[in-house]
Amino acid sequence: MDYSKKIQEIASKLFADNKINYFVGYKQNSFDDSQVPFLITDPAEIPKLVFTDRSVFNLANYLKPDHTKRKRVGLVVKGCDSRALNLMLTESQVKRENIYIIGICCEGVLNEKGEKAQNCVECVMPDPVVYDEMIGSPTGKREYTINADIRELATKALEERADYFESIFENCIRCNACRHSCPLCYCAKCCIDQETSTLYHGANTSSGAMHALMTWSLHLAGRCVDCRNCEKACPSHLPLHLLHKQNESVIYENFQQHLAGMEKDDRGAFYKYSLSDPDDFIL
Amino acid sequence: METEVKETQGKIFSAENPGITAPTDWQPVIMGILCNWCSYAGSDLTGTSRIQYPPNIRIIRVPCSSRVDPWFIIKSLQTTADGVLISGCHPGDCHYISGNYYARRRFLVTKKLLNFIGYHENRIQFSWVSAAEGPKFAKVVAKVTEDIKKLGPLHRYKKENF
Ligand code: SF4
Ligand code: SF4
Ligand code: SF4
Ligand code: SF4
Repeated sequence: MDYSKKIQEIASKLFADNKINYFVGYKQNSFDDSQVPFLITDPAEIPKLVFTDRSVFNLANYLKPDHTKRKRVGLVVKGCDSRALNLMLTESQVKRENIYIIGICCEGVLNEKGEKAQNCVECVMPDPVVYDEMIGSPTGKREYTINADIRELATKALEERADYFESIFENCIRCNACRHSCPLCYCAKCCIDQETSTLYHGANTSSGAMHALMTWSLHLAGRCVDCRNCEKACPSHLPLHLLHKQNESVIYENFQQHLAGMEKDDRGAFYKYSLSDPDDFIL
Repeated sequence: METEVKETQGKIFSAENPGITAPTDWQPVIMGILCNWCSYAGSDLTGTSRIQYPPNIRIIRVPCSSRVDPWFIIKSLQTTADGVLISGCHPGDCHYISGNYYARRRFLVTKKLLNFIGYHENRIQFSWVSAAEGPKFAKVVAKVTEDIKKLGPLHRYKKENF
């Protein structure tokens, strides 16, 4: 999967037609074979744009702080990124007429070990769901499988799980990179920071991290698209997908097999209801 | 998934963290979040009908059960509470027509996630109590208090020196 040439062509055409003010893509890192997000305002930099199976980041995140209000942006999205973008559009965070979307029919990206990433193995929708131009040939929706780590953890006893998660939360340094790197976490004032300082909430303790990460993951329940931008941003390499995948599996099993951002105008599982939702856990 | 709580030598063991104990005269603190239109009025009726219920519950009134952000539950468990009880109107009776249907979805996911990271499922409980169900409210509070007493004090993920 090397679409660098095609993306460069499209980008130069967009700049030539004056359709965009800037373009968001990927650039090769100078020190190894990984890539970094790359924002261009000058067409002279177009030859630096690349797209391969190392283009792991979710570029929809760069549309977050009101960028599309006055500027027109071109960007590259993979299947999962386009689902996040779809939700951002429905939630009025992005102006559709101000973005030009290049959708990639994704063949999966690699993790840091050079293997196919876990979310790509379990990917339900590798094709873009919203795009202006599509690259590659669509392969269609795939069957949903419950995450392998979740299945394994579910067999463990309560105390074992508690110990495991406590050891995970202990390593969180409360840098909030997970929140900032998620395209769907865009609140101007986040409730995790509210009232008092982060320090007061117990920075660097498993308690403070539990408070923040639980709140965060439940705000993304029914909306998270499993792009794992958060996990890639985490400096402590915490397995944040465990929280999101757990929510996703509960939602999939109980709420009409809902998966976030798959259709236009889908607002996430918590913005709708069914009279037959499970209620046996309520006294 | 069930864990047994042992009670030996005048000490109660915490379900999620059996290494930590508390004296046997320990009383749980339960955070009660009740919707204004049904459950809060129901709890009021319990009081005016002179029905006894355990005093362990600390009640907060919210406009609707769908006002309850999972954050409230997490914050309670992180700070003082040993358990949380959230109560709203019966399905179909919501003052705002469908608030409790939305809430119901969130509650299920919250409960499952908190159980997943190591909270016993009985620490987070939900009920539907209407404004006419004073006796039911007393029964629910008694049951939840009993459940949480069995689980012992909550130490896991508690914020220290609060
Ligand atoms: S999750 Fe799917 S769409 Fe996203 S990078 Fe992996 S294979 Fe591509
Ligand atoms: S964690 Fe919740 S409140 Fe904070 S930015 Fe994300 S969605 Fe908003
Ligand atoms: S929570 Fe993580 S995996 Fe989910 S949408 Fe946000 S960045 Fe992607
Ligand atoms: S990015 Fe990682 S270390 Fe930073 S706050 Fe999130 S989980 Fe904690």
